[in-house]
Amino acid sequence: MTSRGTPSRFLQSVLQNGVGRYVCQLKRISIIFSKNAQSSLGVREFIEEGVVDYAKKNPGTVVYVSPNTCRIPKIVAEYLNGNVREEMVTSQTSKEILELITKLTNQSGLDIIRLRKPFHTDSPSIQGQWHPFTNRPPSIGPIRPLP
Amino acid sequence: MASGYIVNRGALTLGIHYRNVCRTTTFTQIREKKRWMKSYTYIMEKKRKIEGTPPPKPRSQKPNWDYHAEVQAFNCRLHENFSLELLKTAFVNPCYIESEQKRRQDLGMDSETIALVLKGNIELRLQGSDFTTSFLNDWCRASFPRLHSDGVAAVVAHLTSSTVVCHVARNLGIEDLTMSAEFPIPDDVLHATLMAVIGALLESSGAERAGFFLRDFFATQLIGKDLFDMWTVVNPMGLLMEELAQKNMSAPEPRLIRSAGASTVLPLYFVGLYSDKKLLAQGPGDTVIAAEEEASRVALRNLYGFTDNRRPSDFSTMKQQHQPVQFVGCN
Repeated sequence: MTSRGTPSRFLQSVLQNGVGRYVCQLKRISIIFSKNAQSSLGVREFIEEGVVDYAKKNPGTVVYVSPNTCRIPKIVAEYLNGNVREEMVTSQTSKEILELITKLTNQSGLDIIRLRKPFHTDSPSIQGQWHPFTNRPPSIGPIRPLP
Repeated sequence: MASGYIVNRGALTLGIHYRNVCRTTTFTQIREKKRWMKSYTYIMEKKRKIEGTPPPKPRSQKPNWDYHAEVQAFNCRLHENFSLELLKTAFVNPCYIESEQKRRQDLGMDSETIALVLKGNIELRLQGSDFTTSFLNDWCRASFPRLHSDGVAAVVAHLTSSTVVCHVARNLGIEDLTMSAEFPIPDDVLHATLMAVIGALLESSGAERAGFFLRDFFATQLIGKDLFDMWTVVNPMGLLMEELAQKNMSAPEPRLIRSAGASTVLPLYFVGLYSDKKLLAQGPGDTVIAAEEEASRVALRNLYGFTDNRRPSDFSTMKQQHQPVQFVGCN
């Protein structure tokens, strides 16, 4: 598909985040894993080693750890703007999971789609919008609207 | 009909299973191609088509929900020190108390056991909305000292309108925590809840912190907004004449200063407004009248100091002196 056909958005932040104060946009994260499956070995390791440190470091994020009978361990991240992201962490190591969770914490929760431009401003032109008379000398002689 | 078919199919599958096992075993699992799956999914899809999609469930009824931890996290996330009891009270709407009491009565319990020990947020929301209006009024007067009092009122009305407040509330995660009778939460309930949260902040941390909260989450909504999107002025020329008369300047004199393509479908006129032979503002338009109106709006924006290229408001004076208390709930 051409890039014009794919969904896109402008660079933006939720509620002008960071203009006043920075609010971590990740509101809750649930780690769903199995107690005995091979595929959630890394997740179990992460829960033993790193999850408490993570929760202490991010008091604004609620961390739920829920053991389930499942083959595919998942990390479900919910953001302040209502978006939910599910990440499969099958057979990943504890370090990789920590990296993934850190990435999820730093994201804003807006859809991850093509950005039209890597910059954005609300007042596009300081000098004013271009019009046919920009940088033209003022006309000489009488001006009148023609019929 | 659909359910009948499912039961039938279940019995059939069970029958097949029973044939393969001995009498003492009550359940067995067979690893095979699940041929019943196709018709089963087909029926479920048909059922969904007839019944429509199920109504949305509030987050509190889904798995993984701990109300206390959520409220604590809400407190820490915003870098505020709410008193948690007040914050919890702020989320309880009177409509929720009513519906909960009715639900408990319908379950047939006696009135002593079902007594709810919840306080509604009516006082908090009154406090909050009063403080919001007064603070935003002061803030607008301080940031736009030259703005007309009607304009200040219009800007404050825009910031405290239902659309802006609900937008802020939805993006702060208040929707999940709000206790309301209905779901999805109606706009007025959400509006009242955010006001109650501001009231709770005012009670627990004082007016300064509540002011910072309003400045950070409400005043930032003005970024990129045009004055006349918020303030409907029907006759900008009349207003401009009043303003100039107050400043003892002569009345604005509109002059056509440029025109192009007058006989085409895309004509362009530029009208300049002169006062005391000085150019106040110029504005474009596709008719002379529209250009004159636009020019007077531009002149008003310049007078009020609400131009696009104004100096941005200062949001940085807040010092993050105290770190929020670290909470880790073990549940």
